[in-house]
Amino acid sequence: MAGFDLVAPRTEEEAAAALRALPPGEAVVLAGGTDLLLDVDQGRIAPRRVVSLRHLPWRTLDWNAGSLTIGSTLPLRSLEADPELPRRLPGLHEAVRAVGGAALRTRATVGGNLGRAAPASDLIPMLLVLDAQVELVGPDGVRSEPVDRFVQGSRRTTLHRAELIRAIRLPESRPSAFVWQRVRPVNDISQLSVAAARSPSDGRWRLALGGVPPRPVRLPEAEAELVGPRPPAAAVARVAERVGAHPALVGDRRASDEYRRRLAATLVARAVASAVARSEGFP
Amino acid sequence: MSDRPLALTVNGRPVSAPGVPDSERLLDTLRWRLGLRGTKEGCRTGDCGACTVLVAGRPTLSCLTLAREVEQEAVVTIEGIDADPVGQAVRDAFRDAGALQCGYCTPGFVVALTGLLKEAGSAAPAAALLEDLGGNLCRCTGYAAIARAAELARERLR
Amino acid sequence: MTAVIRPDLGEKLAGRVVYGTDLEAPGMLWGALVLSPVAAGRIVAVDLAAARARPGVVAISAADVPALVGGAVGDAERPPFPAGPITYPAQPLAAIAAPTLEEARAAARAVRLEIEPAPVVADLESVFPDWPGPDVGASPHVAGHVRARRGDVDRALAGATTVVRETYRTSGIHQVALEPHACLAEVGDGRWHVRSSTQSPFGVREDTASILGLPEASIVVDGAWVGGGFGGKGASLLEPYALLLARAAGRPVRLALSYREEFLLGRSTLPAVIRLETGVSDGRIVARRVRLLLDVGASLPGRDFATGYSIGFLLGPYVTPTFEVEGYAVRTHKSPFGPHRAPFAPQCAFAVESHLDEVARAAGIDPVAFRAAHLWTTGATTPLGQTVGPFGLPAALEAARERARAWRATLPPGHGIGIGVGFWSTGTGAGGEVRLRLSPSELTVEQGEREIGSGSVVVGVAAVAARRTGLPRGRIRVEYRPTSTAPFDSGVFGSRTTAVLGRAVDAAAADLLGELARRLGAPGEATLVEAGGDLAAEAGGARRPVRELLTGPEREEGGLAAAGRHYGPETSIDESVVEAGTFYGYRDYTGAAHVAQVEVDRATGAVRVERYAAFHDVGALVDRASAQAQVEGGIVMGLGTALTEEAIWSDDGRLANPGLLDYRIPTLAEVPPIDVEFLEGFPGGGPFGAKGLGEPPIIPVPATVAAAVRDACGAHLTELPLSPERVARALKLA
Repeated sequence: MAGFDLVAPRTEEEAAAALRALPPGEAVVLAGGTDLLLDVDQGRIAPRRVVSLRHLPWRTLDWNAGSLTIGSTLPLRSLEADPELPRRLPGLHEAVRAVGGAALRTRATVGGNLGRAAPASDLIPMLLVLDAQVELVGPDGVRSEPVDRFVQGSRRTTLHRAELIRAIRLPESRPSAFVWQRVRPVNDISQLSVAAARSPSDGRWRLALGGVPPRPVRLPEAEAELVGPRPPAAAVARVAERVGAHPALVGDRRASDEYRRRLAATLVARAVASAVARSEGFP
Repeated sequence: MSDRPLALTVNGRPVSAPGVPDSERLLDTLRWRLGLRGTKEGCRTGDCGACTVLVAGRPTLSCLTLAREVEQEAVVTIEGIDADPVGQAVRDAFRDAGALQCGYCTPGFVVALTGLLKEAGSAAPAAALLEDLGGNLCRCTGYAAIARAAELARERLR
Repeated sequence: MTAVIRPDLGEKLAGRVVYGTDLEAPGMLWGALVLSPVAAGRIVAVDLAAARARPGVVAISAADVPALVGGAVGDAERPPFPAGPITYPAQPLAAIAAPTLEEARAAARAVRLEIEPAPVVADLESVFPDWPGPDVGASPHVAGHVRARRGDVDRALAGATTVVRETYRTSGIHQVALEPHACLAEVGDGRWHVRSSTQSPFGVREDTASILGLPEASIVVDGAWVGGGFGGKGASLLEPYALLLARAAGRPVRLALSYREEFLLGRSTLPAVIRLETGVSDGRIVARRVRLLLDVGASLPGRDFATGYSIGFLLGPYVTPTFEVEGYAVRTHKSPFGPHRAPFAPQCAFAVESHLDEVARAAGIDPVAFRAAHLWTTGATTPLGQTVGPFGLPAALEAARERARAWRATLPPGHGIGIGVGFWSTGTGAGGEVRLRLSPSELTVEQGEREIGSGSVVVGVAAVAARRTGLPRGRIRVEYRPTSTAPFDSGVFGSRTTAVLGRAVDAAAADLLGELARRLGAPGEATLVEAGGDLAAEAGGARRPVRELLTGPEREEGGLAAAGRHYGPETSIDESVVEAGTFYGYRDYTGAAHVAQVEVDRATGAVRVERYAAFHDVGALVDRASAQAQVEGGIVMGLGTALTEEAIWSDDGRLANPGLLDYRIPTLAEVPPIDVEFLEGFPGGGPFGAKGLGEPPIIPVPATVAAAVRDACGAHLTELPLSPERVARALKLA
């Protein structure tokens, strides 16, 4: 763990320049640091320069007629504390509270979680079912991309060189739910998680699995079978069973494949039930 | 950068520490440069909470925080926690409830609970508070006395 | 809650207490160990050149040790750095000291290791997939073998109405004290000084002397406040390395483990396979066979403490007329087996209790009634031929049954209630001594132990002194002395501290109070009272201030001193039943019965403990608040053993989860309300009849939770921990 230089640019342009000034991989981005500093400690990376985003004006949270734009360096604890969140995006509130512990969430950020793209990320499955878009800024300007395309695998995103995640945009409020299974109820990594949401505007369901390699995935076939705000129990059960056969459900040291398959069916049923219950009188 | 002294406010006092490398963690700055060893080093991976301090009033894992990242911010450690009435109430509650044995996790718990109570207010639901303390590990007490201390602190602050 | 607040709370709450990890000395260097990257192999070279080339770096390995210890020769079987092959993963191969920790770690990485990996024996079932045949005796895989028998088990089983044969598997677990091992060493003026976070300063002294080949008197061990021990800090671990580095550097060296290294290097409970066979006729156990395979890691042959000690827990606490018990300590490439809290007893209780439940069910008998019918009572003879002293476990079990009945009345469907019992032996270790020193205003207990958290020293010893002398606790001060000036004690472990040191205090007090009476011209013992802001002694109708009763030299030395010691009686077992190896006698039998109510999520296998009750045979309460704290803490530690804690090794023998994210101890969010009741009236060997309480609380927990899980959903689990996946699998098969 050799030392590194820390720079804290005040503008996007400065940040991009600081990243570009060194060969790829030698300059890395620091948001909350809860993943980055672990990577440094464990010897996974040895950057020469760390570019801190703390002076950039991205610790923002803006509701606009039901849509939500989250600045990428907003701490998760601040997102969690937003009074509108449990009502408008209940699944996201659950997902945020699932990340680590309260003190960790004081520094951990949405952007950092997204950029780390961990297969067991608690936020990414939820962002998928909320049709989140990620706003990126870099030397080539600004671009926007669905999270589903942005996240490609563990630690792999479509980030271009010297590009930064600036914000995450959630187009609308949705009845939604996030359920997970872990060995320990708090402060643990999920063995499996399921995010469910239904769009009030197009009426369709979204489902996603988390905790599976290489990345959380949407479940389009299952989604297609769920119709209406209150799908019949038989349909939900069928969908749940089918998800249990999904090829992404493999075994690792956290859970065997057999257990994950069993969990998938259970958690899909529960996530949908929870989202259905939240559909009642949804704003 | 490294040649500029690090400027922090710690327990209400401005501190200027020279020669702090950019890579240094707040935990190590507090313990080894400033001699404030009340904040404990546990896992150093953000999983145990023993290193919890308050930064701008919020519970923060000092093992995963670069000292330079919190420059100019107010840092409060166990040594200064009772300057705040909430901190004092929490410390007194831990004492009166006998909520520690070896005491190693205690500074982290006291600081975390103080920060959480300040954030949420003493009327915040107990269940959420206890869940939020899930990031602080204890191996001696079984948490029962800690939960009693938390409740006692809330009662006294209401 | 006790009205008296523990004297160490204030300092700990202010963050002023110095633990091992807080130790510092002027000019100190930071140490780091170079650990083997493989679990087994031949060391070709340990090249320190690149490390030594770095500024300010001191580096040592095996070749440097003889010169550092002046040619002394230590225990050939336990050199600080291996002379022969690498026998466990992360075995220390070299040690570094440097001006900063980062530099020490960088230098450690610069050490060039040339190792020829060897085949790894990763787990005991690869050595013995089945119970080994009789020809296994001289196998290099066996570090110890014990066998005892009474009667003809085969014949008894053949004649039994019901015979149940089962195999249980338990996991390796870690102590996970929040503070990792840490020490600060300095060598000078002919002495080797080390301050260490340790449960046993004298144990460290003895151990370190043995490893380095130095006379014990040349080593001074001073303790620090300890951030948790739980058995993991009872022997030396880092001290020899720190001392060698300090000697090499000519400066103090601080050596502490990272938390990852704490998992890698720690010595604790390892996996086991337990085969149990029990025969029943007419509701009575007619015979039992117990076969234990215990993974002892890289323990040296003949130095396995666990097997002969632990195997007794697989036989009791039940009357067993005919039995056969046999255990093999199996060597694998893991860190050597070391003591955890109540070492291996929770795992034994889990197997025994779950098995006897199964046996009872197979025989059509209520499982709890079955256990009650066989439970030892006061005066019972154990399978190993010892007599059980006053024993409160039957009363505890009865209280547990009452509680379970009350809970069952309001039990929701799908939830379950279980009962588990466990017993323990207290007052182990060679013995202990203290000195009392009475000054005009206070009584000081001078002793050599450290307060590791339980309160056994700061509260327990002081409480005994208070009760014995009549003084209020505020007038009693406990002093922690280094080994050079402290009276000897074996260590803070084995639930022995308050009992043994308490008895020593008792003896010293008798001496002190007798001397005071003599000086007052009265027979018997004096009593001590507060008078006018100071202390006075009363005897035979006379009262004088202590100040006036002291001689001039005594006043100069700080007061009137009296020494006391307690070395427990030797215990013996009926050696006629022993056929191989050494079995350990127990003493001061104590026990507990626990009740758990759980909810099982049948889809995910997740177990939630909703409430918990514990009934403990304590002999006599020395300090209620500390006792309550020990039980609460031990139970939650037991919940970890029961539900979430498990060391996982890869095929290459390395620990796959050396961190607190993947090795899961219980958090505040998952702890149930715990109700504790103490049963006094079955006195033990400690002061006022107290029995040890540090370890018993953890023992019945996995058994109790497993019983509750079975009651809730019918799943009969034979493996620990009862992880959600294991429960789900058992449900699927049920």
